[in-house]
Formats: sequence, C-alpha cells, structure tokens
Amino acid sequence: MSKFKWSHLYLWVVFALLYLPIGFLIVYSFNSGNVMQGWQGFSWSHYQELFGDAHLLEIVLDTLVLALLSSTLATAIGTMGALWIDRQPRELTKNVLLSLNNILLVSPDVIIGASFLILFTALGFSLGFVSVLLAHIAFSIPIVVLMVLPRLREMNQSLIAAARDLGANSWQVLSQIVLPVIFPGILAGFFMAFTYSLDDFAVTFFVTGNGFTTLSVEIYSRARQGVSLEINALSTMMFLVSLLLVLCYYLIALRPKKPAAARRRRQREVNP
Amino acid sequence: MTETKTPIIAFDQVDLSFGDTQVLKDIDFQIEAGKFYTLLGPSGSGKSTILKLISGQLEPTSGDVLFEGQVMNDWPAEKRPVNTVFQNYALFPNMNVFDNVAFGPRLKHLSAAATKTKVVDMLHLVKLDDYADREINELSGGQQQRVAIARALANDPEVLLLDEPLSALDYKLRKDMQGELRHIQKELGITFIFVTHDQEEALAMSDWIFVMNDGIIQQNGTPEDIYDEPINHFVANFIGESNIVPGIMKEDYLAHFVGKDFENVDAGMRPNERVEVVLRPEDLDLTSVEEGKLVVTILEQSFRGDYYEVQAVDDDGNHWQVQTTNSSPVGERVGLTFDPEDIHIMRFNESEDDFDARLEQYEDEKPDEN
Repeated sequence: MSKFKWSHLYLWVVFALLYLPIGFLIVYSFNSGNVMQGWQGFSWSHYQELFGDAHLLEIVLDTLVLALLSSTLATAIGTMGALWIDRQPRELTKNVLLSLNNILLVSPDVIIGASFLILFTALGFSLGFVSVLLAHIAFSIPIVVLMVLPRLREMNQSLIAAARDLGANSWQVLSQIVLPVIFPGILAGFFMAFTYSLDDFAVTFFVTGNGFTTLSVEIYSRARQGVSLEINALSTMMFLVSLLLVLCYYLIALRPKKPAAARRRRQREVNP
Repeated sequence: MTETKTPIIAFDQVDLSFGDTQVLKDIDFQIEAGKFYTLLGPSGSGKSTILKLISGQLEPTSGDVLFEGQVMNDWPAEKRPVNTVFQNYALFPNMNVFDNVAFGPRLKHLSAAATKTKVVDMLHLVKLDDYADREINELSGGQQQRVAIARALANDPEVLLLDEPLSALDYKLRKDMQGELRHIQKELGITFIFVTHDQEEALAMSDWIFVMNDGIIQQNGTPEDIYDEPINHFVANFIGESNIVPGIMKEDYLAHFVGKDFENVDAGMRPNERVEVVLRPEDLDLTSVEEGKLVVTILEQSFRGDYYEVQAVDDDGNHWQVQTTNSSPVGERVGLTFDPEDIHIMRFNESEDDFDARLEQYEDEKPDEN
C-alpha cells in the first residue's frame, strides 16, 4: 500500500494536460470523417491519403535529410568549438565565449530568422535548401556546445597528462581519450540538434524561399487553409518518429559497456 | 657524494615561477640509476612540481633538467624515457584494464602478440592476473592503483615517477603497497622517484630522501641520516616527533640548555653560538628525580600499545614529549634522562653544504665513543 501523495497527483495532471492534445490529435487521425468534431468510426483513410501524397512525402524526406545534415555538421563544428572554448587559459575568456554562445540559444527564433534573411539578402544569396541548411547549422551549434562543454569540464585533466606521458601526440590524445570520454555529451548534442532542426518553424519560415519547404512550414501553410486530418496522420507519424529517436538515444547512451561476457565471468567467480 | 657515473636525472640550478610566485628556488641535485628516491614535504612544498619538470608537464623558468647528461628542458612529455603514476590514477574510463595497460605499447607500434605478452607480464607483476577484461569502474581503489602502476611500467621507463600514489588508500593497504612497490623497484632495477607527504612512508621505502619545504630542498640523505641529523627546525619537526629547545654551544662537545651544561657529540661551531637542541621522544627515558638530568612534571599520558606517550613540562616551562615503556601517574615529578649522543644540535641558517663539511671535519677528530 503506497500512501496517496498530492505531488503525484500534480505530476499526473500536468502530464495529462501535456499529452491530452497530442492524444486527441492521434485519435482523430483514425477518424473516418473529415473533421475533428465528432467521431465517425475507425479508418486508415487519412494514412492512405498521406502515403499517396507524393509531394508531402518528398517534403518529409527533405526535412529528414536537412535535419540529419545540419545536426551532423553542427555536432562536428560545435564539438570543435567546445574544445576550443575549454582550452582557453583564462577563465574570463571562457565565460565570455560561453555567454556569447548562450545568448544565441535564448534569443527569439524570429529575430534569428529575420537576421539570417537580412544576411542572405545582403549577400545576394538565393534562398533554398542551402540557406535553410546554413541557418539550421548555425542555430544548432550553440546547443551542441552547451551539451559538450560540461563533459569537457568534468573530464579529469590528468587523463590528458597521462596519455601524453605514455607517448600519445595531440591527435592521439584527442581521438583516443578526449573524444571517447566526452562522447555521451556529443551524442546528446547531436540528438538535440536533430530535433531542433526537425521541428524548427520560425527560422526556416524566413529563409526558405519558394522552391524548398520543410514539414513544419508546410503544415503551417496547410493549416491556414483549414485542418485536414491528413495532417493529423502526419503528425502522428512524426510523434512516433520522435519517440523512436528518444528511445534510440537512451539505448545508445545507457548501453552497458561489456554486456554478456563480463557478467558471465563475474557469475563464475561468485559460484565456481 | 662522489659520483663517477653520469646521473640518470640531474637538476642544475632550476628555478620555476608562475607569474610572481616562485615555486622552486635553485633546485640542484643528481639522481643515480636504479635507486628508490623520495621527495618528501608538506603540500605546496614543490615536490610534485619537481616530478612535473621531469615528466615534461612543466618547463623550468631557468636552469636545466638533464637526462643522462643531456639537457631535456624542451623535450615533449611523450618523448621522455620516464613515466608517471598519477595521484588520482588517471586511468582511461573508456578502456578496460587490458587496453589501459596496452595504451603505451600500442602507441609504440608493438605487435599485438608482444603487446599482449607485455600486458600479461605487467598485470602479473602487480598481481592482477585475472583482471584484464575488467572495466575501470569495476575496480577498487587499490586495484586501480595497481593498474596505474602496471600501465606506467608497460612503457619500459628508465625512471618511474610516483606522485603520492598511496595517499588515497587506507592504512593497511598502504602498508602492503609500500612493501610491494619496493619489491617491484628491486625486481625491475629501474629508478623510482616517489613523492609523498608521509614521513613514515618515506623513511620505510627510500634509499635516499629529499626533504622539501617552500620550494627549497631542505636536506637530502639516507633515511637514517635525515632522522638522526636533521639540519634545521623544519626537518626535525617534519620527520618524526621532536623536542626542540633553544640552547648555546659553549664549546665543542659542550651544550648548554634549560639552564644546565650537557656533554654531547657535536662540534665545529663558534664558541657560545646560539643553536637549537633536538631530543627525540624515543631517546628520552623517565627515571627517579635524583637520577634525572632534568626534572619534569607529568601532564598527560596516553597508552599507544607498545609504549606510553607522555607529555611533561620542566620548571622553565619547556614541554617535553617522551615515549617510554614505564607508566607514571599524571602530576608526578620525575627525572628525565638521555645519553650524550641523543643530543642533536642544529645551527640557524646552516646550508646543507656547510653542514656536511662541518660533519666531515669533526667526525675525523671526534673522541672515540665506543
């Protein structure tokens, strides 16, 4: 018998409120009717519609490619940036650089989007996939830096001294010690950057131009013409993908280091 | 010291400063191959800094660090024929025990078979034969310590540097490891330079001790020399327990302290020079008031297993610490007795060179005690 706790009730209410709209949306994606008012029976029709919509599927693919590319590049650049910030000898320099990094994180997307639009126009850069990619890389880098830097700071500095002492050059220290040790931070940065890119609307909206569009921009423009339940089906799919991503992240990040062999061996030692 | 061989490591007037803070002042010493050396001093005395200068983590501000007679000031750490056992072990958490120990050999492009042999040998040396597949976080502190030693030795260093490697272990484990380290050093026949703040550890393990304080080598010598003939107040206090009282050397072999004259075995000072007198607690004994050279009142007595530790005060207010097997009730007046050779005289501001010279000079003319 566990005692009733108000704090638990509060938690459940909050979660219910957060997930209710999503649940509502998912349920109605299976509605055989065409509106979100009134349930008219179960149907896969909106999913059939969705998978028959070649244009929409193309956008989904574009969005995924964009997210993958931008988050990969942002992870590489952001990790290097974090390494560089961490190597600054003066604490003041570190803090100034980190603050500059964090300002980008907290500034409104609208402002970042608008500033990119101004930049690209001023440079005479044509808007399309590349401009969106550059913008996504740019706003993802600070996220990666923020995820990687604490790992670097936590890392025992004598690990580097020890590796050098044993004969490693700078590259070997980086590739064999530093990067593996901070890998969980890099991974977290990558997944964060990926999801940020996937669901970004405001920045993309500014720099996307005419030819290229992403899912969030497309959904927005369709929703303005009245919500079709096809969007519900699409959102449900996206939600499942996000869920899968989160699961992937935990599987990679929390995977036991030496699974079977070590455990078997230890059991042998306990009961020979 | 007369040296014919080239010392394996030598410091030639090394200074080291960080900004305005001078960390090491005029460090000058030579180390012979194949011995167990200890740098002993309180934290902040500069002993770990000396290790970092040898391992290549730091460069001297002025002066030279030499390896077999060659200046190695600007050799990068990875090129030096020395390896370090770090204070916090610094084992790589992303690798298991085998890979940690194999790290150095692999960087040297040893074949897989040779690497394996090396790792197996080293793990055997530190008695961790069955632990090759373990992850680092599965090991106890003592086991991590052993892996760190095996990893450093796997690189076949000419000199092994140990930076307070035992300080995180509990008493029993520390004692065991002291003996084992000494054994490993003898077996491999390489030079060990061991840093510690634990004087007991230093006395137990070393062939030669450097006592450091304030970035200066205060005294160096065998454990016996340093214990029996501390050069100054700091060394006398830091190594073992000491009773230190002010005194005067009236003439050679006659000291005056706590208002009385005492025969002793020191000489070579100016007549009536002001000095400090050291008497070790274990050299003092309690006796009757009549037979005592000094009369003291017992303040405190605590049982230490194999002896009593007694705190006493004489009529001039000097405190005396005595280790004795005789129990005496608190408040009782007793006599304090000691032999002439138990009295050790320290001059103020005497340099190590002057100290050695004086010792040599009067030891030749000393009246035969036996």
